[in-house]
Amino acid sequence: MKPDGKVVLLGDMNVGKTSLLHRYMERRFQDTISTVGGAFYLKQWGPYNISLWDTAGREQFHGLGSMYCRGAAAVILTYDVNNLQSLIELEDRFLALTDTASADCIFAIVGNKVDLTNEYALLLETEEENRPEKPVTSCISTKVQKQVHLDDAVALYKKILKYKMLDEKDVPAAEKMCFETSAKTGYKVDYLFETIFDMVVPLILRQQAEGPLQTVDITNYKSAKRTKSGCCA
Amino acid sequence: MGRRVFLPHPPASRPALPLSITGLRAGASHVTGRTGGAAPGGGWEPGRAAGGDSPVAKLPRTGARGPGPDCPADHPEDTMSLKAFKLVPAVEREMLMGDKARINVECIECCGKNLYIGTNECFVYHFLLEEKISSAGKITFAATKQLHKYLGFKKAVSELKAASALNRLLVLCDNTITLVNMMNLEPIPTGARIKGAVTFTLNENPMSGDPFCVEVCIISVKRRTIQMFMVYEDRVQIVKEVSTPEQPCAVAVDGHYLCLALTTQYIILNYNTGISQDLFPYCSDEKRPIVKRIGRQEFLLAGPGGLGMFATVDGISQRAPVHWSENVIGAALCFPYVVALDDEFITVHSMLDQQLKQTLPFKEGHILQDFEGKVIVATNKGVYILVPLPLERQIQDLLTSHRVEEALVLAKAARRNIPKEKFQVMYKRILQQAGFIHFAQLQFLEAKELFRSGQLDVRELISLYPFLLPTSSSFIRSHPPLHEYADLNQLTQGDQEKMTKCKRFLMSYLNEVRSTDVANGYKEDIDTALLKLYAEANHESLLDLLVSENFCLLTDSAAWLEKHTKYFALGLLYHYNGQDAAALQLWIKIVNGDVQDSTRSDLYEYIVDFLTFCSDQELVWKYAEWVLQKSEEVGVQIFTKRPLEDQVKNSFNPDNIMNCLNKYPKSLVKYLEYLVLDRKIEKEKYHTHLAVLYLEAVLQLKSVTTDNCAELTETQTKLRSLLQKSDFYRIHFILDKIKGTDLHMERAILYGKLEEHDKALHILVHELKDFSAAEDYCIWSSESKDLPYRQRLFHMLLSVYLNPGSSDCELVMAAVDLLNNHAAEFDAARVLQLVPDSWSVQLLSPFLTGAMRESIHTKRMAQITLGLAKAENLIYKHDKVKLKGSPIILSDKKLCQVCQSPFCEPAFVRYPNGGMVHTHCAAKRLVNPNMTHHSQT
Ligand SMILES: Nc1nc2c(ncn2[C@@H]2O[C@H](COP(=O)(O)OP(=O)(O)OP(=O)(O)O)[C@@H](O)[C@H]2O)c(=O)[nH]1
Ligand SMILES: [Mg+2]
Repeated sequence: MKPDGKVVLLGDMNVGKTSLLHRYMERRFQDTISTVGGAFYLKQWGPYNISLWDTAGREQFHGLGSMYCRGAAAVILTYDVNNLQSLIELEDRFLALTDTASADCIFAIVGNKVDLTNEYALLLETEEENRPEKPVTSCISTKVQKQVHLDDAVALYKKILKYKMLDEKDVPAAEKMCFETSAKTGYKVDYLFETIFDMVVPLILRQQAEGPLQTVDITNYKSAKRTKSGCCA
Repeated sequence: MGRRVFLPHPPASRPALPLSITGLRAGASHVTGRTGGAAPGGGWEPGRAAGGDSPVAKLPRTGARGPGPDCPADHPEDTMSLKAFKLVPAVEREMLMGDKARINVECIECCGKNLYIGTNECFVYHFLLEEKISSAGKITFAATKQLHKYLGFKKAVSELKAASALNRLLVLCDNTITLVNMMNLEPIPTGARIKGAVTFTLNENPMSGDPFCVEVCIISVKRRTIQMFMVYEDRVQIVKEVSTPEQPCAVAVDGHYLCLALTTQYIILNYNTGISQDLFPYCSDEKRPIVKRIGRQEFLLAGPGGLGMFATVDGISQRAPVHWSENVIGAALCFPYVVALDDEFITVHSMLDQQLKQTLPFKEGHILQDFEGKVIVATNKGVYILVPLPLERQIQDLLTSHRVEEALVLAKAARRNIPKEKFQVMYKRILQQAGFIHFAQLQFLEAKELFRSGQLDVRELISLYPFLLPTSSSFIRSHPPLHEYADLNQLTQGDQEKMTKCKRFLMSYLNEVRSTDVANGYKEDIDTALLKLYAEANHESLLDLLVSENFCLLTDSAAWLEKHTKYFALGLLYHYNGQDAAALQLWIKIVNGDVQDSTRSDLYEYIVDFLTFCSDQELVWKYAEWVLQKSEEVGVQIFTKRPLEDQVKNSFNPDNIMNCLNKYPKSLVKYLEYLVLDRKIEKEKYHTHLAVLYLEAVLQLKSVTTDNCAELTETQTKLRSLLQKSDFYRIHFILDKIKGTDLHMERAILYGKLEEHDKALHILVHELKDFSAAEDYCIWSSESKDLPYRQRLFHMLLSVYLNPGSSDCELVMAAVDLLNNHAAEFDAARVLQLVPDSWSVQLLSPFLTGAMRESIHTKRMAQITLGLAKAENLIYKHDKVKLKGSPIILSDKKLCQVCQSPFCEPAFVRYPNGGMVHTHCAAKRLVNPNMTHHSQT
């Protein structure tokens, strides 16, 4: 069965990409091993089949990213809220991989592992309706100060728009596309994926109206390719 | 919901501290289990074991193999091995080299039965390969050498490719591709050849469409150059040369697309347009790249970290990668498996779930290729064939080891290899088997889904449960069996809890399917089984089943219900089967306590209800006595609640019934009440009978109780009500019966009925001294009469009060109250004449005010009526004057407006607008459209 659209998760190793997908698809959190190569799931969303690609964050497999991203309708850039470097890597290492994605690709930035931060309890209170399946009441003292704040993600999102030469007016607002999740507790995981799927559907419709994506893609490849220079002024 | 397509890793645990092991995660290259699983002596040495039994059979069943250098964790699931392939020798070393030890196999080609081998000493060998299947199903190959040919160089033969349509073998040796005859290996006379080729490949998806031509793609000795040739029977023609950004070292072709391994990366290059697309980086200097076309527009590539990557000509990956070892030498595809060779093992991964399925130790292998679906491996010295086991067999093996998920994935994939009809039969069977595996593990949800999709004959499932199928069922389990269990006892090993769970599942399953297509043809079996389960489990749905449409078989079910003492249910079963007599007999036994069944505590009422609606008259009469004996009040319902049409048509007429009820006075009263009050039958007989019965009851009660007990009050109320409301009983008859009793009120009512109001009022006032009753009497007696009648009664009462004979002050007060409370019911003028002069105005002021008001009101109403009438009269007068206003002159010159002829009589009709017509014309045209009023003069 050919999927109608592709969503790719990118991000440094250990940030929790596999765990997020597990949580969403299998409704649980379990131990993972570092992903080798890549893996994918099919998700039925309304009448559409969306393929969800989990990529490997390890440097060794970095080169595969471009191929996985080719033609993607959405890219989820994932970092660990307790690891500033993982956010920096998104810009330095992963952003360029998305050059092959669909021209109107949707970008989301996701800070995972919020359950480890001392802000988590607060988040839960303000987000009553998004309660994770079990309340996390473990002592606050084990929690750490969050290293990356939502503002940093928003800033990155805006940089991405610049890099892609996109106008802020034409794309979803940064605040809407920056998420903080916990694969462990399930916090905002469904919300993340469902928001993105809802945005991907119109894209699929457009692509289907324009004819098969794959054939268009290769001939447009050279011209569609953007260069980095001149975009980062 | 989402369907899991691929589980990237088996759930192996990651070491606890993720951060501290990052180095390990990335860099560890420790291989576990690789040698441990091999047979003693470091695995199987090809060649040496050739004569023996199947080399694969010698291996431990679980081909223990480490997950790969990058995963420190063990993959326990991976060690569960499937037998997808068998390694069978094809050409043994003796056949190839005899005693010449230096000869090595360099390359092979297989085309139909022709097997070609190129050697390091520049020889090409041609064998015919014959496949033999022993009676036990064992496959062997016998190779017979046809000939061998020395090509005349000092170089090794590096590649062989057959073009069977041209009867040519393409031989690459010393950078030159020569064309030789496939059969005799003689070079073609024209000497056509391609020079300067490092390596070459054929386009298996050619674009030319010419069947007598093959497209050959070479990596040229010229730097960074690829050339495309058309090769015909005896000539070659270059068609394209493209240069690549880096030096290519491996190539595969599909249509216009080249998939190339360059020095630092893989790319897709369209040689027609020259457009290229990067796939991913790969350092070909460090590790040998693999580029393998695996189907239309798709390639398999060796990726970083020992990955087998899939890529399409569009540069995307549609399948998740498989995870090989780091040093894979060759890869081949044999759907649905990817087979790879490294220096110690042949590994088999499934393309469907990416998991490692089988590992075959194989040392010193250096060639692994598939030829038209046949996978061949070779060492330097020998050639072997990997024979795939039939998919059905593999699926069965998986099912046997309860690997349902994998079996289903494989079965689905088998769709493309098996004819549709056959596939469907097979697939259904697999689904059913899988269902039973889940079932045996008590995973009922999964089982149910599989049974449903596999369209299981439910009886297969029912037959697992002892005694559930009816004895008359013709069912025989399918053969070969769908599962290994004789029955539920064996499956649960006598565990009662499990047994209960299984039964509960069957209940819900049968209940779900009984109304669907699945049940068609065996509804009897299903419903009977369900009944048995319900009965045994004391389940409340048993009754629901029996009272709704069902197919329970009578004899089987009856025996079972009896065994489980479900007598009430048994009665329902009898009833459903039209045996009401048996049902009743049984139920009555329960009520009488002859048999025990506490299903319904209100069974007696149930029986009454049942008889009420029972259309079998005989049966009703038969049990009427029993029912009435049990309870006169409730039992009589079999007559009173019976549908009306039933009562008129047949033997349930009042006479018969009353005959029967004579012995049961309470029932009789109820029945008469029913006739008189509910059905309102206006027959003197019933009314009088009921009145008498009431009366007797009252008298009887009065004789035994002194106080006003509730029952007496109630009966007396009923009696009075009847006497008052009914007009059909024999008044004198009742009056006779009452005489001499103290039932004054009743007597008064009876006199009232006889219109002997003075007597009645006399009783009420003088005997009962109940003034309010007397007032009520006046009211109800005149209820349906006119005002004068009522006034007459009130005056009569007033006269009784003011009877000059008695100067009882009580009566005077009553008279005053009567007047004051009912001013409207009196003729004030007459009253004023009646009342004694001594009464003060104050005393009668409410009466006087009321009477005054009433009289003024009447006067004013009359005035209004008069005024309105006068007004109306005036209007008519006005109309009249208007109409008379102007004279109308009729002459013989005037014509009728309707018929246009003159008037010959004095009578005519004139419309208010002045139009004049004949009377007969006016009569004809009743309505003149523009005239609403007309008058006749
Ligand atoms: N506390 C916490 N731990 C998490 C969360 N998500 C993932 N982890 C843990 O982080 C580690 C890495 O998770 P993975 O999902 O394997 O990370 P990944 O991004 O897939 O890593 P690679 O496959 O190597 O790229 C695991 O030990 C997870 O248990 C989270 O939300 N909260
Ligand atoms: Mg991962």
